[in-house]
Amino acid sequence: MSTPAISIENLTKEFPIPFKRERVTAVRDLSLRVEPGQVYGLLGPNGSGKSTTMKIVLGLVSPTRGRTEIFGRDSTRVESREDVGFLPENPYFYKFLTGAETLHFFGKLCGLSGKKLRDRTKELLALVRLEDAAHRRIGGYSKGMLQRIGLAQAMIQEPRLLVLDEPTAGVDPAGSREIRDLILDFKKRGITVLLCSHLLGQVQEICDRIGILHQGLLVREGRLDELISIENQTELILENASPELLADLQAAVAKSTARVVEQRRPQTTLERYFLEVTSDEKKVKGDP
Amino acid sequence: MNAPAATQHRAFSPSRIAAIASNTLLELIRLKVFYFLLIFALLIIGCSFFLVNLSFQEQFQVLKDVSLGAMSIFTWLLAVLATAMLLPKDIEDRTLYTILAKPVPRLEYLLGKLLGVLALLFVAISLMSVMFVLVLYIREQAAIHVATRSMAPAELAGEIASIRASTFTVSLIPCIVIIYLKAALCGALTLLLSTFASSSIFTIIVSVVVYLIGHVQPIAREYWLATNDAGAGTKIFLALISLIFPDLTAFNLVDDVVAGNAIALGLFLKTAALGVTYIVVYYLAAYFAFSAKEL
Amino acid sequence: MKRRLLVLFVALLAFGAVKVPYEEHLERVHRAAFFHGAKLDLGLREQIGQLGFLAALSGFRSLVADALYIHAHAAWERTEWGRMKLDFDAVTALQPRCVLFWDQAAWHMAFNASIAARDNPKQPREALRIRDQRQYWKLGEDYLLRGIANNPERPLLYDRLGFLYREKFKDHCKSAAIYAECAKLPGAPQYAHRFAAYELAQCPGHEREAYELLLALFHKGEDERLPTLLRILGELQEKLNVPPERKVDTRAPSHP
Repeated sequence: MSTPAISIENLTKEFPIPFKRERVTAVRDLSLRVEPGQVYGLLGPNGSGKSTTMKIVLGLVSPTRGRTEIFGRDSTRVESREDVGFLPENPYFYKFLTGAETLHFFGKLCGLSGKKLRDRTKELLALVRLEDAAHRRIGGYSKGMLQRIGLAQAMIQEPRLLVLDEPTAGVDPAGSREIRDLILDFKKRGITVLLCSHLLGQVQEICDRIGILHQGLLVREGRLDELISIENQTELILENASPELLADLQAAVAKSTARVVEQRRPQTTLERYFLEVTSDEKKVKGDP
Repeated sequence: MNAPAATQHRAFSPSRIAAIASNTLLELIRLKVFYFLLIFALLIIGCSFFLVNLSFQEQFQVLKDVSLGAMSIFTWLLAVLATAMLLPKDIEDRTLYTILAKPVPRLEYLLGKLLGVLALLFVAISLMSVMFVLVLYIREQAAIHVATRSMAPAELAGEIASIRASTFTVSLIPCIVIIYLKAALCGALTLLLSTFASSSIFTIIVSVVVYLIGHVQPIAREYWLATNDAGAGTKIFLALISLIFPDLTAFNLVDDVVAGNAIALGLFLKTAALGVTYIVVYYLAAYFAFSAKEL
Repeated sequence: MKRRLLVLFVALLAFGAVKVPYEEHLERVHRAAFFHGAKLDLGLREQIGQLGFLAALSGFRSLVADALYIHAHAAWERTEWGRMKLDFDAVTALQPRCVLFWDQAAWHMAFNASIAARDNPKQPREALRIRDQRQYWKLGEDYLLRGIANNPERPLLYDRLGFLYREKFKDHCKSAAIYAECAKLPGAPQYAHRFAAYELAQCPGHEREAYELLLALFHKGEDERLPTLLRILGELQEKLNVPPERKVDTRAPSHP
């Protein structure tokens, strides 16, 4: 078995409450593994321990008990972060830097320099489609642009693992779509992704596995399609079916133990519809 | 497609520290810092115009006192205010997470921040020194000009030598270096306070209190160490003050240098060594507190 | 985190135990080089007020001194001698290493205030006016002596004191002694040697000593053979009945 990208073993984190004896348990005896190449969704309501778990994996907070590893390296050690890129929720970068300078800065922190850094910066700016804004100050970036430069920064040292906290929060549908496409692109490249999001519809679209945290406990975990598929139902989508065929099918089902739950026209998603409409408008106005 | 390969980690990287330091310097230089410098320049120049009733010797004395005094206070203010908001700002903006999520040891992050502040102080004091020297030179030339017009040639050489001696003395340079070290020391101390303080305001207030107490520390120290009949409680109190607070008067060489004292090399090195030691100790203490900080 | 802070506090105390002896040592080094000689005591605080005292403590001693000096200057212009003296006391206490302040204080006392006292129209009795004049001379002398105590290596104040003894007290013996001290210091004015000898010549019982000194200076070279030296040397030669073969030519050289 190859080294898991993330390994969390019996993780517990307690926070002391000032002036009181008791402590708050943010994470209770959590164990999970994220295999290399997966897109893993860590879900849970506010206060469920998602952020804490992420911070512990990234070595920003130390565990009370238990152990977390990134590709076999203990999270409490600095080396483990050589393999990780992190995009925090609502990222702020130094407003006075331009997009390119921001990438340069983070690249230097990862040990890159010179031509290699410059090439990598250009490559990433192209990847996240910010070449035109590369020399504008971050202070002037929209939310979507901030998220994209954040992704670029997370990728600067070509990490094997990406940890993304609410990457599409507050971003408009077009930007959101771009970010999700990028994530899928990363997956194709073999990069592991740990994703935290409240936007469950989007999670459903891109994650392979999910874990659901509730009050510090892992209540459900597993392959997404297995978890949410309704066991005893089957979906059959037909094109150009005649009314007679449909009637025959209904009759056949009636004869068996199965039953028809619903017969309707499948719908496109509102998102796809919106994007189609707005991108047409964009073409009309001549915007890139 | 294969995933990217694992990367090697460098335990200590000057380029990482340099990246953080230069970024910090850039961030701080964009603050109102240069307004401070403007006020300083105006102070020096404005000062000259009020001194017409005094002899040139007296004028130069006041000019130097005001300029060096202003340099002292402004570099100290700069050090405390700039440092006090460094960490809280990074934490609030979450840039700290992004940085520490990279393979950057907390030691290097903190060192980079401190070096950025020290670089800022260096830039500020250099600019102020240039302005100071320039104004001093202009006033010196004006005094020489006046003397040339009004004095007999026989006495002129002596008078010019006297004017020159009142303006530039070699000891001004080590004096300015010590002013820098004092401000740097206060900056390092402020950094230490900011690692566990709850807000910037708290950090600043405590820094100011430490500055004031630091100037009476030698008095407390003298009373503590001298044989007298102070009670045990008083002795303990004085001892605590002496041990905890730095002796900031050790870095006050300005007054006597302007009065004509020379700073010997040995004295300068000993004083500088104390300053550097304080900076290193406070930095290490700041790292010790910061490394356990929950983010 | 709390435990860390406690450890940190203890560590700082331990560092304190190491640094305090060094700070003591550094203070001694500073004082030996004439730094930090200012006496900032309660008397001074009374004088310059709380704000001034605080400023002085915080390292702005020289600025406070300068401000007070300007104040003293203004007091002189208004002939408020009492106020002026108080200010000068504070100024010299704050900046004992600034010879300018001692010099100015002494000069105002011995040469300005004293004359004002002597000519004081409000004091009808001459004896009291003369007494007041002498008081001011003594105040001037006091400033110079204290100034010399704080600045033993600088010739200026010795020079001024020598002048004061000569001009006001007419005490040529003391003047000679001070000028002799002055002459020994690096940077002393050229005339210090000569003045020491001139004054010594007027100190009863020391004529021979003065003669030897002046003779030595005479033989030193042309630069020393100034009119005053030649004159006094000639007078002493007569007074001491120097044998003719040992006499030197003290006529002033004729200039073309």
